[in-house]
Amino acid sequence: MRSTTVVRSLALLSAGALALGLTACGGGNRPGGAASDGASAWALTGGSEEVFKASFDAWNTDNPDEKIDVEWFANDAYKEKIRTAVGSGNAPTLVFSWAGGTLADYAANDSVVDITEQTAELRDRILPSVVANGEIDGKTFAIPNNQSQPVLFYYNAKILKDAGLDVPTTYDELLADVAVLKDKGVTPIALAGQSKWPELMYIQYLTDRIGGPEAFQRVLDGEKDAWSDPAIIEALTKIQELTDAGAFGDSFGSVVADGGADTALVHTGKAAFILQGAWVYPDFVNNAADFVKAGDLGFAAFPAVDGGAGDPANIVGNPANFWSVSASASKDGQKVAIDFLVDQTFSDDAVDAFLKIGTVPPLKGLEDKIAASDEPEYLSFVYDMVKDAPHFQLSWDQALPSDQAQPLLDNLSRIFLGEITPEQFAEAMNATL
Amino acid sequence: MSTSALNGRPNVIGGLLGWLWLTIVLLPIYFIVVTSLRPREDFYHERPLSLPSRPTLDAYATVIGNDFGRYIGNSLIVTVSTVAVTLLVALGAAFVVVRNRSRWSARVFRLFLLGIAIPIQATIIPVYYLIVQLGLYDTLWALVLPSIAFAIPLSVLILSNFLRDIPSELFESMTVDGAGELRILWSLVIPMTKPALVTVGVYNALSVWNGFLFPLVLTQSAETRVLPLSLWSYQGEFTMNVPAVLAAVVLSALPIFAAYIVGRRQLVSGLTAGFGK
Amino acid sequence: MTATEALIAPGGRALPSRRERHGPSLWFAAPALLLFLAFALIPLGGVVVLSFMEWDGLGTPSWTGLDNWGRVFADPVVMNAFWLTALLTVGSWLVQAPLSLLLGVFMAGRQRYRAVLSVLFFLPQLFSAAAIAIVFKSLLDPNFGIGQDLSFLDLDWLGRPDLALGVVLVVIAWSFIPFHSLLYQAGVRQIPPSLYEAATIDGAGRIAQFVHITLPQLKYTIITSSTLMIVGSLTYFDLVFVLTGGGPGYATRILPLDMYLRGFRSYDMGGASVVAVILVVVGLGIALSLNRLSGTGRMESQMEGA
Repeated sequence: MRSTTVVRSLALLSAGALALGLTACGGGNRPGGAASDGASAWALTGGSEEVFKASFDAWNTDNPDEKIDVEWFANDAYKEKIRTAVGSGNAPTLVFSWAGGTLADYAANDSVVDITEQTAELRDRILPSVVANGEIDGKTFAIPNNQSQPVLFYYNAKILKDAGLDVPTTYDELLADVAVLKDKGVTPIALAGQSKWPELMYIQYLTDRIGGPEAFQRVLDGEKDAWSDPAIIEALTKIQELTDAGAFGDSFGSVVADGGADTALVHTGKAAFILQGAWVYPDFVNNAADFVKAGDLGFAAFPAVDGGAGDPANIVGNPANFWSVSASASKDGQKVAIDFLVDQTFSDDAVDAFLKIGTVPPLKGLEDKIAASDEPEYLSFVYDMVKDAPHFQLSWDQALPSDQAQPLLDNLSRIFLGEITPEQFAEAMNATL
Repeated sequence: MSTSALNGRPNVIGGLLGWLWLTIVLLPIYFIVVTSLRPREDFYHERPLSLPSRPTLDAYATVIGNDFGRYIGNSLIVTVSTVAVTLLVALGAAFVVVRNRSRWSARVFRLFLLGIAIPIQATIIPVYYLIVQLGLYDTLWALVLPSIAFAIPLSVLILSNFLRDIPSELFESMTVDGAGELRILWSLVIPMTKPALVTVGVYNALSVWNGFLFPLVLTQSAETRVLPLSLWSYQGEFTMNVPAVLAAVVLSALPIFAAYIVGRRQLVSGLTAGFGK
Repeated sequence: MTATEALIAPGGRALPSRRERHGPSLWFAAPALLLFLAFALIPLGGVVVLSFMEWDGLGTPSWTGLDNWGRVFADPVVMNAFWLTALLTVGSWLVQAPLSLLLGVFMAGRQRYRAVLSVLFFLPQLFSAAAIAIVFKSLLDPNFGIGQDLSFLDLDWLGRPDLALGVVLVVIAWSFIPFHSLLYQAGVRQIPPSLYEAATIDGAGRIAQFVHITLPQLKYTIITSSTLMIVGSLTYFDLVFVLTGGGPGYATRILPLDMYLRGFRSYDMGGASVVAVILVVVGLGIALSLNRLSGTGRMESQMEGA
């Protein structure tokens, strides 16, 4: 009697659990989210979203049996999930990245596929300095997939005109402009302090202008006490000079970059300047078309620093974003992904689309197309900037490995909030080397 | 049985404080509702506490059109599965703990007691590792199994408490009649512990429905997204469309609101889960 | 185990005596035990093991001994997290306990309007922690939030490091006071009115009645509610994560948040596990000692001795 009872009770319980489990299964158990014969991709909303959408649609129409499922993420949410996705073997077939330290980690763990051979032809068409970012030890693991994204100083031309100001070409001029704008009740510079990464642009440019790219290179190389480099300390000091002067307003700590809250401050007339990457230009075009059409959106390079050792033509930002192919995807899926890469990434339609939304793909020989585009002035400015830059520094939080990148963002945010001194910053960061 | 602690004479200060607290409670809720009815553009120039000049349900349409139904569905599946299984297994365990007088059952009980004090958050990394190794990452299973595990200790505790109140004689008379343990469970225990089952069920349902950390870490795609997580991702996608985000908040509260209207007593008793005894 | 006395029923089957009957077989508890073991206890052990290993989420974990422990304890961010957690816990208790108690007493009153108010007071419970955090983020936005209407509230609440933790405390209180006040309300309702009647006859005023009758009678509820509050504050994650993400700077980076950020942003799973172990030890320690102090947790039936 007892054993039957035991068996019966167990059976009852397991049957119940199973039945419920089956309903739960309906919720999805798809590794990597790939359709059986197709592939999957994760991409970012905003920026070049439309161009990607068009490319994927074009591919899916031409290849109905090898569809690519795309999932869209906001920037910060994407960064949150992609690494755990890759690490758990659930990565999408096409992995979107900024190359840098993350790509190095992926390659070291064999999470992404070597695509040197298949992409040889494509790579010839791309600017060498940009392509190089996708290579590790001479092998290509990632291909650029969108526009080149240097960081520019955008500004509201109307506000500057009303205040009687010229675009600053040196740091000291910028500081003076800040004072004038503050008096007029305008936030001099918009800054998405809550997202933290937009603050990087300042330390990146200032360090480069003051000490050249060598200063940060030492950090990348892991040299002891590299963060105490005088160029970095001075850059931080200047940042605090700016915050003390009220350059970023009172509430930058609550502004978020996702969704364009920082650019909104500029096109609604609340702020005059914003230092951001070229990926925000489409946001201006989409959210404030009239503003852009009226010619009120100005753009310039970051000012030089008097007496600085760095070349004022150096730029920082993202050479581009990249696609990698996940090693955990099926062989078929990988093939679909690679074919897509080669066909669609910089097809003629895609290139035209990039130019149309005001972004410049990192390809050679685009001068003619740019001249014929809607925004020849802006686009050629960006293109020449990228083409001619002696050095293009990848955003520090992408260049560094993740266990250094996060403390960098946190400590930088504390600098901007005035909580720590440059020396304390250096001390905290040196401990992570 | 309820009695008044302060009877008769009006308590002015108490009343005043009560109304003050009411304002504090209602203000954010008013803000939520009012903002969710504003058209997207108006949010940036109308004063936040004013009534919308052009009320619209656009925000709700945006949210519902954005897969909201799926997220509710996922939440439902996860909640119902978790609660059902938890009740089943916890009742079995409570039954053992109360009626089985061996040393082992006492040990089992102490184990569960300890389990109540374990913070879920602390185990999230190994749970993540385990789920990945089991190949369950980004499935609803990944949410159900750990939720059950962490719901068990408290459920067993409450059910045991309740079971203890069933007089021994009832059990013995059934045994003398020749009933097996399963029969006792079915015909005696379950009917007599119904209130406790409801209480535990409601309590677990609420905490699973609102659970955030497990979905955050153990799921990634929109297919397996549950309600609280969807709110978080809406916030990222719709930073500039605050009415839509708040409309999502309202919609997310509606199921519980409905439950509240239908079964207020059970909900409240479930919420306080026998803590007040 | 006492000696068994076998009784023989008609048919020759041995009936278990009262003493000998073991009750339901342990198998009834097996599924619960299994699930609990697999998804709660083993991960608990896993956390301890992981704290001695290095893992970046991508590869496989490798042994590093006490490295992580040394690093974490030397990290000022962690020390700060300890401090913030302690502040938040004590602060939360100081704010929530008195308010919940007073509210609970208030709601237990017999007046009809109080029942209506009780229903309204329950509203915050309808929203998940994520929802509440999102709402307050909007409400407290320095550019578009409530500061526009009520100028005395026009500050950068969540952007200033000196204000952020306080704001977090207030929002948590807003979401949990309704719950605790329900506990107190139930507790107050159980106080026999005869006590109050006797006191009134003796001429005791309202405040005296509160101090000498209500409070002592609520001892059990106070302890239960406070235990929940304290242990809950130690481990609270959801709301703080969505509201501030640990910022600005490190201003709201309490222990559970530090653990998550260390593990899933910096991908230092080993270090995060160290913080997790700390959380478990502290949480367990406090829960157990509160338990011991209050003498609750005894498992007699409420009926016994009645």
